[in-house]
Amino acid sequence: MNRKHGEYKVPGGKLVVVDLAVDGDLLRDVEVSGDFFLEPAEALSSITEALEGAPANAGVDGWAQRISAGMPEEAQMIGFSAEAVATAVQRAVEGGDA
Amino acid sequence: MSDEKRISGEKQAKFDSLKERWLEYDWQLIRGEPEHPYMHQALEEKLVEEVAAGRRKPTLRFWNWGGNAVVLGRFQSVRNEVDPEGAKKHDITITRRMTGGGAMFVEPPNTITYSIYAPEALVAGLSFVDSYAFLDQWVLEALQTLGVDAFYVPINDISSSGGKIGGAAQTRRNGVVLHHATMAYDMNPAKMLEVLRIGKEKLSDKGTTSAARRVEPLRVQTQLPKEEIIDRFVEVFAQRHGGLTESALTEAEYSAAQELVTSKFGHDEWIYLLP
Repeated sequence: MNRKHGEYKVPGGKLVVVDLAVDGDLLRDVEVSGDFFLEPAEALSSITEALEGAPANAGVDGWAQRISAGMPEEAQMIGFSAEAVATAVQRAVEGGDA
Repeated sequence: MSDEKRISGEKQAKFDSLKERWLEYDWQLIRGEPEHPYMHQALEEKLVEEVAAGRRKPTLRFWNWGGNAVVLGRFQSVRNEVDPEGAKKHDITITRRMTGGGAMFVEPPNTITYSIYAPEALVAGLSFVDSYAFLDQWVLEALQTLGVDAFYVPINDISSSGGKIGGAAQTRRNGVVLHHATMAYDMNPAKMLEVLRIGKEKLSDKGTTSAARRVEPLRVQTQLPKEEIIDRFVEVFAQRHGGLTESALTEAEYSAAQELVTSKFGHDEWIYLLP
């Protein structure tokens, strides 16, 4: 499976980077990185777990909903959002081999 | 930098109204010996723990860098940020810090880094974003007294009419806010571009294609030696915040941080957490 890479810079905010593979119709081996701020830091795994195995055709709204639903209630995303991560996912899926 | 990105007058008035909160603490100052980049990251975790436990009073620490480094934000991937050949060529230690934000390229003579370890009460009622600018108001004042037209660009950029000066990063743990910032005293743009990877997407809303040109270092802006700038930072912090008591790392703090280098910050498991 080819690794795919997508980036999205939130205007006035931070960069979100997504690396993943598409296995059949599902997202696999998802990595989310970037220069954003996230409290608590451990909430990063909630984001990647929400995307792991998600349908590759869920679309920005679909992925964003999964991410939001999986975030701990007390978590704070600073300089980015579930939609920003989903946009980077979209760019990875549509576009670029890593 | 366009004015609309600056802090609004209303927000500035709120920061000014909360200024007296700083006076509630007996601030301690650490200006230590040169330390390895891993050790500095370990000291951050240890000193947050010490302030949280009440064993150390709220503290301002100026870092003395012991070697070249790239400092990655907590959530950055090594391969996206670091050029391995450039890092090897220029004897760079790759480190990961406990706070988010972007990669910094550090050469000891060119870099001013400081940390504030404070009770979260200092920033109570402020949003995460506003707390960045609030915790660096003293730095802006110090820079202004040196003739630098310094201002904050949210979320975390310390900037000036001449160009960006530096950036801050925070995390919160057990009732303590860790706020640290790194500023360019000087810079070597060619070397920086060999060591850091700066993608086009990151610059997409910055209105410039050159990462190096975005920065205007303090040496150029002030014509002062680095130590004089730090002395002024210390003076202004003390004046604004009711004094600043000389302090030093305790033996216990130092040895615990050394253990954290061995168990965490010097380990590939941490440094390549996001490969």
